[in-house]
Amino acid sequence: MSDLSSMTPSERRFYEAGERQERIWVFIVLILLTVLTIIAMLYVVIDYNLVTKSGGQTPVIGQMTTDQAQPEGVAVETGPNAYTVSLVARMWRWAPGPIHVKQGAKITFRVTSADVLHGFEVQGTDINLTAVPGEIGLVSHVFRKPGTYYIICNEYCGLMHHAMASPIIVDPARPEAEAAQ
Amino acid sequence: MSAHLSTPAAVAVPRPDVLAAERRMMLAFLVVGFSALLLGAGIGPLQALNYSGHNLYPALRPFFQSYYQGLTIHGVMNGYVFTFFVICGLLVYLPARELGITPNMTLWRGSFVIMLIGTGLVLAAMFDNSSNVLWTFYPPLKGSPLFYFGLTALGLGSTLPLPILLQMRSAWKKQRPGEVTPLVTYMALITMLMWDVSTIGIMTELVIQMDPWSLGLIHTVDPAISRTLYWLTGHPIVYFWLMPAYVSWYGLLANQLGGRLASDAMGRLTFVLMLIFSLPVGSHHQFADPGFSPIWRGILVVLTMSVAFPSLITAFTMGLTLEFAGRKRGGKGILGWFKALPWGNPSVAAQVLSMLTFVIGGASGMVNGSWQLDAVVHNTTFIPGHFHMTVGSVVAMTFMGMAFWLIPHLTGRALISRRLALAAAWLWFIGMSTFGIGMQTAGLYGVPRRAWVSALPHEAFHTLYGAAHIPMALIGIGGVILWLAMICFYIVFFGSLLFGRKIEAPAIPFARAFGRSESYSLERPAVPSEHTSSLARAMEPVWFWTGVATLICALSYVPIFWSFLRHMTLSPGWVAW
Ligand SMILES: [Cu+2]
Repeated sequence: MSDLSSMTPSERRFYEAGERQERIWVFIVLILLTVLTIIAMLYVVIDYNLVTKSGGQTPVIGQMTTDQAQPEGVAVETGPNAYTVSLVARMWRWAPGPIHVKQGAKITFRVTSADVLHGFEVQGTDINLTAVPGEIGLVSHVFRKPGTYYIICNEYCGLMHHAMASPIIVDPARPEAEAAQ
Repeated sequence: MSAHLSTPAAVAVPRPDVLAAERRMMLAFLVVGFSALLLGAGIGPLQALNYSGHNLYPALRPFFQSYYQGLTIHGVMNGYVFTFFVICGLLVYLPARELGITPNMTLWRGSFVIMLIGTGLVLAAMFDNSSNVLWTFYPPLKGSPLFYFGLTALGLGSTLPLPILLQMRSAWKKQRPGEVTPLVTYMALITMLMWDVSTIGIMTELVIQMDPWSLGLIHTVDPAISRTLYWLTGHPIVYFWLMPAYVSWYGLLANQLGGRLASDAMGRLTFVLMLIFSLPVGSHHQFADPGFSPIWRGILVVLTMSVAFPSLITAFTMGLTLEFAGRKRGGKGILGWFKALPWGNPSVAAQVLSMLTFVIGGASGMVNGSWQLDAVVHNTTFIPGHFHMTVGSVVAMTFMGMAFWLIPHLTGRALISRRLALAAAWLWFIGMSTFGIGMQTAGLYGVPRRAWVSALPHEAFHTLYGAAHIPMALIGIGGVILWLAMICFYIVFFGSLLFGRKIEAPAIPFARAFGRSESYSLERPAVPSEHTSSLARAMEPVWFWTGVATLICALSYVPIFWSFLRHMTLSPGWVAW
């Protein structure tokens, strides 16, 4: 009120143009965010079990550490071309030794911790899961390329946190299996 | 001013001795805050050099035992102590001067003293190497009671500006019935309402879990519940840092530029949107945790994306404000107005440069916010890269920029060197950008955050992170540039306080806005409410908006806590350093 009358003509022009553009901008932003959100949601729905790795699971108290049927850090066949690897993270190691998995197979990692929080990250993939004591996290992945990958702890877990890395060795699928596909 | 406006209701200008007491208090908050930053950010480059493979910690043995101890001090000093002191000073002092009302000095001093005690406790706990839990202090890692009680005190002290603001606002409203709250006071109030609601999370965690646990009164805690309570506050805390910087951008910067704020009402809308969207989305920091349903993650993606809305409005309003000032100063053409800004003013330079880094930092925030993309970058150096480009530049540089006018204003002493102050702003901008780009790129190679990688044997370092050696070198270079920036800044800061030439203290640069309501009130004629924008009036019932925000926050957390409480997984504590 007071200001509109005290503005110079050029100031007033700038102000009125600015107000108009502001409305347009807010409109564009709203459209942009709506579209982005819809895409993100579609991605969530479509990819549900395909790309999304850190599928949550209701906490299962202490099951893993007492379940001796599941050896630590060994791929156990659970179906056609599907394996499960159970891991109990401890300060400051992931598994008793290198973990061998097969190229092209669906590998499900069951990860928990025996002490503090750890972060289960496999370098070069989008596997990323917090290891929480008393809870089991599930994450599935298909390693397309053979070679050595590293599990790197990415949740601070004490003095040797940085040294908590273990290899996953992806063995090449047999040539005849490749031919059969 | 137009003749048909009524004369201002008599505002009793506070007595000079009262004003002097307020200035001294503000100065105390500022000096303690920036001293904390001197320690916290002073350690920062050690962390940066760690990622370029240079392990300086063994050389610092008597003071620091490990990288993790240094990192804990870095995070706590910068994230809690520096920000809390500066913010709790500014968000009382600026509104008090805007309204021309004396704040409740007892409460304000109380806030200062409680936070100072808290700072003493956490410093003791961190320097005796008993609490290397990092600033997020996730249990079951267990530090000393001093650490948790110190944080409890810091948290408590930081909530006290709210009652002071409420008191001042209601006193002002009595003198000016029917008017909307002046802009700076309004923004400060929304910030404090947001913060005080959000501290419920971390204060519950500290008081119910960490404090009694550290004393041995309880033996176990549920780490998942702790984490969720932590992030209930841990996400809004980013806005608690950011919003005071926005107070300066919206409420003061236009004046420093010699222009006008493009829109007063948009500033109010931005703050209310941040209040509503920042509270419910904290658990997006837990995308990688087990126990969160995919549907829940989808909802969080939507809410998190919404946070971009107020930031994009701010980008527009600030852009327009800068353009107006630049054109008024004779800037021509598409970008001429940007060059024509008063770049010789270090306070302006620091703030405008921080806006530039915010554009990059904000865009990368959209990456972390979406669940699928987050799976790639979660807990890699991408994340600290992101928040150093936002908080570490926007907030730190804006506060530095404010210090450049606050010191002359509070002490009546000129800056000892305008050139050094400008150098500090530019070096911080260059250093933080180099560091941030290095961190974000290294994160894409899977380099984990918070890891003492330079202590690894050379062979292991090379095998795991060799592919990222160029971005990791950038991290180290950025750190060293930041050290130079700090040297420049602190020579100016402490030098001006002690040896600055005596001048007449400049006034606070409260800005004027375009449109119907101006942003300062002291000498302002009364503006009847029918002459203020309807958007500004719609934003005025702050308790209504706080209620809406609290309700959405509660709705978003009830399902999470419900499932966690039914499946408690209790852990004993671990001391692992
Ligand atoms: Cu670990």
